[in-house]
Amino acid sequence: MRPLLVTGYSMLSALGMGRQQHLSALASGTTGLGPSPIPLGFDTATGTVTVELPELPKPMQAWSTRLARMAAALLEEIDEPLRRAREKWRPERIAILLGTSTAGAETTEVAYRAYVEGGKFPPDYDFQRQHTFGAVLTVVRKLTGCTGPSWMASTACTSSGKTFATAQRLIAAGVIDAAIVGGLDTLCTMTLQGFHSLQALDRTACRPFRKTRNGISIGEGGSFALVEREGDARVLIEGIGETSDAYHISAPHPKGLGAQAAMRQALATANRQPEDIDHVNAHGTGTHLNDTAEANAIKIVLGTDVPCVSTKAYTGHTLGAAAALEMAFSACAIEEGFLPPAIGDGEIDPKIDVNIPTEKTTGTFQRVLSNSFAFGGNNVSLLVGAP
Amino acid sequence: MSLRVAVTGLGMFMPGFPNATAWAEKNELPVDDPRKPGGLAFDRVNRRRASQMGRAIGDCVAEAMASAGVDGQTTPVIVGSSIGEANAMLGLLDKMWREHEPMSPAVFTVSVHNAASGLLSISMKNKGYTTSIAADYDTPAATLFEGLGLLATGTDAVVCVCADEASPRSLLEQAPHWDMLSAALVLQPEGAANALAHLTIDDCGDDRENITIAPAELAVGFANSPQAGMMDLLDAIQRGESGKLVLDRGTGRGYRVTLTSAR
Repeated sequence: MRPLLVTGYSMLSALGMGRQQHLSALASGTTGLGPSPIPLGFDTATGTVTVELPELPKPMQAWSTRLARMAAALLEEIDEPLRRAREKWRPERIAILLGTSTAGAETTEVAYRAYVEGGKFPPDYDFQRQHTFGAVLTVVRKLTGCTGPSWMASTACTSSGKTFATAQRLIAAGVIDAAIVGGLDTLCTMTLQGFHSLQALDRTACRPFRKTRNGISIGEGGSFALVEREGDARVLIEGIGETSDAYHISAPHPKGLGAQAAMRQALATANRQPEDIDHVNAHGTGTHLNDTAEANAIKIVLGTDVPCVSTKAYTGHTLGAAAALEMAFSACAIEEGFLPPAIGDGEIDPKIDVNIPTEKTTGTFQRVLSNSFAFGGNNVSLLVGAP
Repeated sequence: MSLRVAVTGLGMFMPGFPNATAWAEKNELPVDDPRKPGGLAFDRVNRRRASQMGRAIGDCVAEAMASAGVDGQTTPVIVGSSIGEANAMLGLLDKMWREHEPMSPAVFTVSVHNAASGLLSISMKNKGYTTSIAADYDTPAATLFEGLGLLATGTDAVVCVCADEASPRSLLEQAPHWDMLSAALVLQPEGAANALAHLTIDDCGDDRENITIAPAELAVGFANSPQAGMMDLLDAIQRGESGKLVLDRGTGRGYRVTLTSAR
């Protein structure tokens, strides 16, 4: 496939806002996970965004939610490349392709609780402007002036990974010249209770690939990237794999067959070989099943030497935002020349037969495979390369 | 203007009209018919898991694939829905805030937007691409754009299906209510032998003067659906129309299809 040029990207997570805060935490092995700020009736760690989010302009107050303000923060971080793109491309040729799993659920669950308890919704609650998938698209459109095709991908934990693939195809098809891609999600009670019902949450910070791993830590945040037909690329999306397990709605295939297929497809579309991959940003949620299946898939496709790190031990699993955020971390590895240490309590599971470096690794990293797998058996692998 | 593609298959479900043939013949089911979707594309287990909207999607996809003669095991499916499984979400919220009971893990796993596409891929043993997207009243246009992108990069056929359940009245008190509606098209490259029509899509913005194809005659509950534009397109293809059709009914951003009948 024709590589997709990433000319700018932003990051927001429990590690902070922007490049420096993320690099600092990743380099020092400092997790952003901590106790859940949402009362739940059980213990779990979450990756909570604690930085102050910008307010939306006054005329857009009806759209102002935590999710929309996260979008505004992420746009501020790519303001400069976006300004250049708007000078280069017509606004109707710049698409807005984002991913989310929760959309405005955080706002609706608060409003719905008020409705149940008091018989009416809060006066400022507006489902269409604050909850729907289109609500954040409207905010991004208004804040950027970009008027190209816009939609949300919502394939659970692969949502934001899908947006890179769509942008690549639409640019190849001549429909657009550039796109704001990526994704964002907020913490909400419903998600935490839902994963608790599946017995999928760790009581403490998640421990991907560790012997004592015991589940996910949910996080919030996002990452936006500006991708263009031509320009000064910081990194390239060289290859993309999109597959389905066709196995189970919420459990991965035990041998990671869908994951294997996604990684192989990413390699094939980039015209690369397994030995070309210098690092894997693993999906690595910290559940027994997922980590075992993914490690098996990595071993079969790439062998046992390539260093694999799950940055979910830093940010938590940011669900619909995870693929884009981890693409950004993959880009950081290429641009900064280091891999964050794989953190988490306990020893690495000896049954996980891939290379999990527990110390910071410095070096030259030309190509990184970033994996994301989701409910519905949906798989995305992005092959991120140096320009 | 997008590339030109062929439409080779149609499928639909709305209460009273269980498939595209019934719609073409205006053969409405009697009012005492249960008027529920069967979920034809699903296997037994996943049909049980699917919501009413999911089953309507299953019916549309099965019909559209059969009419186009494409293989469910290999053909990508794009599911567009503006509010997705919102009724499942309301059920979860009621469990939390009204009943104060633990959530059902089974309900939680099918409350995600991509529940239908995931269940379809499992039932059809499709290990390739699938996605679920949303763009409010522009969902039909977004679904077609996603399909065009796939065709432009080498895919042989793609199913674009748009569906929404009836609007949740408690959450959408101010908006016009809509009823469940689902419609699907199979898109293939322009040269496909079995084309019913060809189409391109572009953004007409507020310029709706030169729209030449009338929308489908839908009851108001269906006409209010964010997916009505997809139904309008299906209806126009069935009628053998050529001309310009807008993919929303004044509620979206104004994406327009230029349609040429192949009949």
